[in-house]
This record gives sequence, C-alpha cells and structure tokens, in this order.
Amino acid sequence: MKAEQPRHVGARIQRFEDIRLLSGLARYIDDIRLPNMLHLNFVRADIAHARIVGIDSSALADIGYPTWVFTGEHTAGLSMKAHQDYPEMQYSEQPLLAEGKVRFVGEPVAVVLAEDAYKAEDAAEHVMVEYDSLPVVGTMKQARDASLPPLFDGWTSNVIVQRQMKGGDLEAARTAAAHVIKRTYRTQRQAGVPMECRGVVAHYNPADRLLTVWSSTQMPHLVRTYIAEELNLPESRIRVVAPDVGGGFGIKGQVFGDEVLVAWLAMKTGRPVKWIEDRREHLVASLHARDHEHTLEAYVSADGRLLGLKADITVDNGAYSTFPFTAAGEPGMVGKVLPGPYDLKAYEATFRAVATNKCPIGTYRGVARPSAVFSQERLMDDIALELGMDPFELRLKNIVREFPYKNVLGFTYDEGSYAQSLEQMRGLLAKDIVDATASRASETTRIGVGFACFIEQTAHGTPDFTRRRVPIETGYIAARVEMSPDGEATIDLGLQNHGQGLETTMAQVAADALGILPENIYVRHGDTLTTPYSVGTWGSRGGPLGGGAVHIAATKLADKLRAIAAHLLQVKADQIELANGKASVRGNPGNHIEIRKLARAALRNVDQLPEGMTPGLEAHASLDGPRDGSYSNAVHAAVVEIDVTTGKMKLRRFVVVEDCGTILNPLVVDGQVRGGVVQGIGSAMFEHFIYDAECQPLTTNFADYLMPLAPEIPDIEVHHIETPTPLTPLGAKGLGEGGAIGPAAAIANAVANALGVGVISTPLNTNALWKLSQHIREAV
Amino acid sequence: MVVKGEPMRPASFEYHRATSLEHALELLSQFGDDGRPIAGGQSLVPMMNFRLARPGHLVDINKLPIAGIEVLGKTLRIGALTRHEAYFGNPLIARHFPAFLDAVHYIGHPTIRRNGSIGGSISHADPTAELPAVAVLHDADIVVRSTAGERRIPATEFFLSAYVTALEPGEMVVAVELPLPPETSTGSFIELGERSGDFATASVGITLEHDGSAVTKAAMVCSGADLFPIRAPEIEDFLAGQPLIDPKAKEAGQLFAESIDPVDDHIASADYRRGLIAQLTQRAITTACTRALGKK
Ligand SMILES: Cc1cc2nc3c(=O)[nH]c(=O)nc-3n(C[C@H](O)[C@H](O)[C@H](O)COP(=O)(O)OP(=O)(O)OC[C@H]3O[C@@H](n4cnc5c(N)ncnc54)[C@H](O)[C@@H]3O)c2cc1C
Repeated sequence: MKAEQPRHVGARIQRFEDIRLLSGLARYIDDIRLPNMLHLNFVRADIAHARIVGIDSSALADIGYPTWVFTGEHTAGLSMKAHQDYPEMQYSEQPLLAEGKVRFVGEPVAVVLAEDAYKAEDAAEHVMVEYDSLPVVGTMKQARDASLPPLFDGWTSNVIVQRQMKGGDLEAARTAAAHVIKRTYRTQRQAGVPMECRGVVAHYNPADRLLTVWSSTQMPHLVRTYIAEELNLPESRIRVVAPDVGGGFGIKGQVFGDEVLVAWLAMKTGRPVKWIEDRREHLVASLHARDHEHTLEAYVSADGRLLGLKADITVDNGAYSTFPFTAAGEPGMVGKVLPGPYDLKAYEATFRAVATNKCPIGTYRGVARPSAVFSQERLMDDIALELGMDPFELRLKNIVREFPYKNVLGFTYDEGSYAQSLEQMRGLLAKDIVDATASRASETTRIGVGFACFIEQTAHGTPDFTRRRVPIETGYIAARVEMSPDGEATIDLGLQNHGQGLETTMAQVAADALGILPENIYVRHGDTLTTPYSVGTWGSRGGPLGGGAVHIAATKLADKLRAIAAHLLQVKADQIELANGKASVRGNPGNHIEIRKLARAALRNVDQLPEGMTPGLEAHASLDGPRDGSYSNAVHAAVVEIDVTTGKMKLRRFVVVEDCGTILNPLVVDGQVRGGVVQGIGSAMFEHFIYDAECQPLTTNFADYLMPLAPEIPDIEVHHIETPTPLTPLGAKGLGEGGAIGPAAAIANAVANALGVGVISTPLNTNALWKLSQHIREAV
Repeated sequence: MVVKGEPMRPASFEYHRATSLEHALELLSQFGDDGRPIAGGQSLVPMMNFRLARPGHLVDINKLPIAGIEVLGKTLRIGALTRHEAYFGNPLIARHFPAFLDAVHYIGHPTIRRNGSIGGSISHADPTAELPAVAVLHDADIVVRSTAGERRIPATEFFLSAYVTALEPGEMVVAVELPLPPETSTGSFIELGERSGDFATASVGITLEHDGSAVTKAAMVCSGADLFPIRAPEIEDFLAGQPLIDPKAKEAGQLFAESIDPVDDHIASADYRRGLIAQLTQRAITTACTRALGKK
C-alpha cells in the first residue's frame, strides 16, 4: 500500500517551522506570562539520603514580601506511580514533595511561591530543612549487597526488578564453541540535555472549571491523563499545551511530579503558577540516562560463527521509577535488543535495575540501545581480535541476510540492508584503514578506524507495550485532516513537534494524498484541546506511524474530494486524479476542476454535492505499530587520531550509512542523523554525570558536565539506503534515535584499533585515552 | 538590561555606572567588601548567577578610558579594559611577545574574547586562565589603584590561590605592565583542555633569550600544576646554556613533572596532569627553540 506517485514525500523541502524557530518568533514555556502569576522555586535536598527532621520557614515572616510555602505534608498522598505489572518488581512511589525521607540530591522537599522569580529564589534560601542523614547506596555493587538496608520500606533488597529472556539451546552452543569470549562493558551515567530546560505553567479558571497546564513536554495527552487521575478531575476539564519545545530527546518524554504539583498549586492558590527549571536543576534532578554494566559471554565457532550469547545486565536506576517507562524499561530493552543484526541461535539475558541514591534515570535518545550496541559491537571487535579475523568479515559472516527474519527471542525483522550497508561502509573506509595501519609506526600519533553495525526496533506500538506491560499501555498515533472552504488544509496531530520537522514532513505526506501544496497545509500539534488523543512523540515512531496516520486520514479526505469531483465532472470517482490543486480526469487533463471549488462545495455550496453526501471535509485516522515494529538499520564509523603523548583525540571522520525505509524528507533525515550523532559523540568522549561516594553530584553545570561543542565535531557524512518496509503505509521506518545509538561503539572501536587495546568503558576523554596509551609511551 | 527568561538568577544587587576612574575608586572605597567592579562580565556574571558571588554593589567600569596597548619606555602597558581579542593583529604583541600571542588563541571563544578584559581575567584568577600565566611568565607588574593611590604588585606575588589575589577591598587593576624583552628573545605557549575553548587542564609557557646557538636565559610558567600559575626556576636554570638545536626538552619536562604535586579531580587525575605537563613542557621548549633558530 504505497502512496501513489509520491511527489512531495521524498522532496528536499526546507522546514517550515524554521522560519519561526530561527527568527525569534517561537514561544517557549518561559514566554508564557499570565496576569497575577506566582513563581515557584523548589527547595531541594542537598543530601542524598536522609530522614527529614523538620522544615522551618519561619524566617520568611520577615522577608518583606508575600510568600507561600508548601511541603510534603500539604501534598501528602499525591505521588508518581510508575510500576510495571511484574511479580518480581518491587513497588515504590515518588511523592510530589518528599515525605519523611529524601533519596537523592535534588529531590524536591518544599516549594516557595512568590510574586516574581527572583523573590521566589531568594525566599527559598530562607527555608531551613533539618536532616538526619542515612548511609547512601551509591554504586551497583552496594545496591546488590543484600546486607545494606533497602531504600524503601517493605523492600527486600535494592534490586528493583530482575528478569530473564532466553531462546535456543545455550548449553549446546557453549559445548560446540571453539572460543568463549567474556567481557564486561560499562557505559557511564549521563544527563540528557535539551537546549531548553523544562518548565510548567498552570492556570485554573473556575468560570468554566478548566485547568490549563502548559508544559515543555513531548507527551501532552499523557500529562493530562496523569493529572486527571492524580487530582481526581475530569479529563475534559484539563487542557495541556506543549508550546514550542526546545528539544526533548526523551527527557521530556515522561510525566513528572512537578507537572502534577504546579497544576495542584494553581488550583490551591487560585492563581496562575509558573516554574521554570534552571540548568543546575535540570542537570541534577530532571532525569539521567545510561549507567549500565553488561557482562557478555560469547560462544564462537572456530571459523567465527556466533553460536550463542549470554548476558548479565545491570542498570543503576537511581532512586525512583519514572512514569510511564519505569525502572524495568531500560534493562529490559538491553535484554531484548542484544541479539542485534546477527543470526544468533542461542541467547540468554539476565537483566536488572538497581536502586541507588541518585537521580532517577529514564528514556534518552536511543534508550538503552547506545549502551547495548556499545557492548555488542565492542564484543564483536574483541571476538575478531581473538580469532584474528577482519571485523567486517566477522560481521558479514554472522549478519542476517534473509527477511523476514525471526530472531532467537521470536521477534521478526522486516526488510533491511544489513549486509549491503556493511559492504558500503567497508568501501568508504578503505583509505582510512591504510592510513591507520601506516600510523602504527608513529611514536606520537595513532590513527584508528572503528565501526558499529546495528538495528533499531522503531514504529513499535500497542502489541509491544502490552507484551512489556508498561504503563504507557498504548501506542497508536492519531491524526485529523480537515480542509477549509478555500481548499487549504489543517492537520491536527497527536504528536508533539520538538525538532523532528513534523510541521513539514506531515504536510508533505498529506499534500501527496490531497493534491495540494505542502505550504498550504497547517500542522497543529501539542495541544490536547485541538489534537486527537495520542501518547506523544518518542520512540522513533512519528515518521512511520504519525506519517501513516496522516496518510490514511488524508486519503479518506481525498476519496471524498474525488467523489465530489466525479459528480461535478460527470465521470467515475476512480478516474479522478488529485494534483497541483486540481482534480482532473485521468487521461484527459483538460477536463478538471480546482480542489478549492470542491472544498467550497463540500462546506458552503453544499447544494452542489452528490445526492445524500454529508457536508464537511474532515477525516480522522489512527495507526498503531506492527507486532514487532519495523527495524531500521545503520552502520556508523569513526576515524580517530590520537596523540598518545597527551591523550588528545581528534575525530578525522564520522560516517553513517543508514536505512530508514522510505525517506519523507532527506534534509530532515540528515538533520536527525547528524543531531543524534553529535549526542553520541558526547556519550563517547565527553558527557559524564559524576557522583562522589556520598552521592553528591560533582558535575552540576556546563563547566563540569561537558557537552560536545562545534569545534569537536567533524563533518558528519550521511549515506542512505532506502529499503521500504511493507509494515507501514508509506514504507517509512523510524529514524529519530538512530543517530545517537552508534557513535559510542564506533568511536570506542576506533580507539581500540588505534591503540591496540581493549576498550571497556566510556567516556573516552583525554584522561582515559592517556591511560589507554600508556603501553605505547612506555615502548618508546 | 532586559533579561528574557529568568532561569538563572543572581541574588539582588545594586548597579552603578562609573563615569571616571576617580568615580569608580570612590564607589569601590565606599562599598569595600560588598562592592565589585564589573568589566566584561564573562566570569562575574556566571559566578553571580550561581550565587557563588553575591556582591551588594556592582561598579560598571566599562565606560572608563583604561583600554589600550602602548609602549611606555621599556615597558608594554596594557590597560585593564583591553579585551582579549585586541591582541590579535597587534604588532607590539606579535613582535615582542610570541608566547603571549600563542596564549590568547586558547582563551574561550570569539564572544568571550570580545568581552573579556585583562583586568577581569587577572582579578578573577582562575587557576588555569591564560592571562595570569602570561603575566607571571613575563614578570609583569599589576598596576593597582584605590582612593589611597597607586601600587604595583609583581605578578609573581599577585596570585595567592585559586580565585584569590593580592587585591584589597576598594582596589582596582588599572593596567598590566610587561618589561619589553631584548630583540633576541622568543617564546611559546602551549596548552591542552578537554575541548577547544575550555579552561586548560594544563598549560606551559616559555620565553628564551639566546645568542643564536644556545639559550642564554629562560623563563617558564605552568598552570595546572598548582592552584595558580607557577614559575619553574629549576627548569629556567636547566635551560640556560642548552643548545637551541637539542635543548634536552624531554628531560626538562620530566624534571619539572617530578617536582610538582598537581590536584586530582573528576576531570583529570594527578598522574595525568603530571604526564601532560611533562609533555607540554617538552613541546613548549622545542617550539621556542625552533622559533629562536628561525629568528637568529
Ligand atoms: C564559556 C567561557 C569560556 C571561557 N574560557 C576561558 C578561557 O579558556 N581562558 C580564560 O582565561 N578565560 C576564559 N573565560 C573567562 C573570560 O576570559 C573572562 O572574560 C575573564 O576571565 C574575566 O574578564 P571580564 O572582563 O569578563 O571580567 P568580569 O567577569 O567582569 O570580572 C571578573 C572578576 O574580576 C573583577 N574585575 C573586573 N575588572 C577588574 C578590575 N579592573 N580590577 C579589579 N577587579 C576587576 C570583577 O569584580 C570580578 O570579580 C571564559 C568565559 C566563559 C563564559
């Protein structure tokens, strides 16, 4: 079922939204200013684990301006519940404001409201919290130490959840193996860092009993549902608006306690309430990511066939489970995806999330897969080294080549270009491989080439979430397409656009079906009042499922336009073609009528409609993901140059060969891939959220938490292979996250290649590289 | 000033625009500990936003006529408000102070170099900022004024610890003066940071006087070995007399690295800093000697 004669889909159209975003016309959460508004400042825990002895705000009496203070006593009973219905998962809740105990530095303990943000921040300094400190659980090891007390009453240990997945006969694989290769790999804790921090504004209007909540979120409908359930309000009386959102990257793809809290405060105080997160709060207390340790054991035949893989996975989840993906999501994803693009017949993974006194982790671009692919692809290189095989040969020997392919866990991979992309990458790197080999003679500068081959399950929906029993529950994406009497169209989209180019690509999709120009289609999103219920933008689903829903709805609308045209032109509906603003008779283009006249007929001159046809031009569609989603694939490669005397690394090249099925807009795909790669470079080389032994955060600003900057980023070369999937209406697969998945593995492999050492962890910063180069310096 | 968005908020303060040097000194003397000059704001404003600095009064000195680079007799005088970007393309710096010129390239990014001033950088005294290191390397005098008059503090005595200087409340830096080196001198400055534009993990600067074939006199500064830029007298002695062609740069680097005790933090371990400083020392010496040979 492909769109007929795609014209706008696939075109290199510049993003419409950029006019607004690049000229200062965008409206972000902090641009929302309401009369009579109160500003909120959090009092946050400055100690990682403690009992709250008392909260004293009496000093505020003398501050000279009005303030309002709320603590966990006021919000008692309101909490974030993020539980997955597994018998082996230990239940916990995070109160909106700490009740009795704090469990990580940055946890909200109280709020102070004042009439401007400066006053609120000054006033917050006057609220004194007395703590009785408790020993911290600071590492994975401590969390798995049964002798240490659990973080929550009623828990038996600090292992939140531990599960297993398996397929095939692992014992037989072990017995048959000529080589057993066992390694432990570590990917560090990160903060996901959108350019715009988070923020919430809420306003309750008693006249129509309407609570309006503006939030810098990727999932406005889910925020609405959670607030309604927690505050016991009818959903019809809550409107959640995500204004322009300055990046989300999955960090804003959660419902946060502060969203519920600000809404509650607006109702409680009867005044609009605003909270704008600052960078320190964002880094310390919003949401962290990664922080994995994987021990992998590969069973390999003498000629390099991967016979079996055993994995033990631990994720340091921090103190609380987050909604809606929960503490079980991250480790579960690793267990699920480790078989990767390889034809593996036996597999067993044990995976767990442990609780520590740190900021909770959650979904960040790539979600667990950057870590999984790091381990998987480092392992492949380690196997190649052990067997003395070329790393391309090893992968090509094991790569899945026939589709659809049912993997060892029962997941079906749709069409892909796994082998082809590897071959193409090998060609692209030929000269660099020669340069790398030549550099082995150098005492100071070593060149390395590394790559990572991976697949990514995208476009997943309800079947996947049902299997995983996650509270997200559902995965369809809905769209409504409406034409106005002038022949222009509006798409009301259940997705939220925060950098994906949806205001352009969705218009391209609808334009092909409707026969009008993309610039005549207005895409509205991010407002529960105007858009159909959906769970938001995350998980590499917007293009394939959102685009699919728009395509189906627009096609329904086009059918009606064709029926009206057929009536007016006195032909059959299947003879009508819609293009260039006209409905024409196939084979007789001279016989046509303008689409805007059809629209006018449908909405105003309804006497022109065929007998019995209802007026109006509006269609709705929703589309869910296929059973196992659709698998995008890519190979990422890095060419690095390392000064072994200083540890300084330069990226000479970063190359991507990717296949996301049908490309809706090449400019958007390139932009998504490049943005993701930059974040992946951050994971590989710079970003590291560090706690000391007392779980005090050390990297609370951009001088200590290092993001990749423009001078560190090479030109990122992107090559495309287009293998449309039969599983989505347009043949598109998801690609929003893929860019971030490969770089850590590719760069680590390049470093291992350059220095001739095993690389087991990231970030590969100068200090780490200097250590890894020690043997070369000593040999001089 | 209109601030769009209020995510980072300093504690409240009063703002005063100084209209003359005397006015500025008046205000600073009046506010004492509670007052601070603000120049480019590139260090002070972030510190205030983090509430690490909470001055009650800011004295804006940006309108004062204390910018400029000029030769006065045997010294180069750099006015406190001279912005970092002014050194690029300045013939006096290029001719007399190659190490200085090298160093400026490592300071931040273009917007920071456009706003940041030498007075601010010196007074802020970040442990690995370039201009404090340059001042120490070149035996500069820091010229300081208050309502009580002027005093000159040798750069080697100005930096007391990280972010701590010999400035007293009410005092302001008005200029930095560098003795002009002899014609047969050269130098180099090299550093390494995690990313380009970052404050250095470590840096080393060298100046040399020479007779065309050997070093006759040397100076060396290092940031990252201690909490403020330090000179390396034993290396300076070691270098005097070394041939320009093979100045034993590697040995000098190792010798120096053995004498220091750098900090250990989450960005870089002490071991790494030591190894890095040995390497940077070697390179700075090699580059300076190569330049000396080129210059003759
Ligand atoms: C992202 C970023 C990167 C940076 N990278 C670097 C770098 O790599 N290397 C580097 O050296 N610097 C770097 N800086 C700092 C920059 O160079 C600053 O400009 C400089 O340190 C301070 O100069 P300023 O004029 O901005 O001083 P301000 O910020 O205005 O003031 C700094 C301090 O000096 C005091 N002060 C200012 N002028 C005087 C005076 N005349 N007398 C007495 N006290 C005074 C102020 O009261 C304050 O305490 C960076 C800054 C940023 C924001």
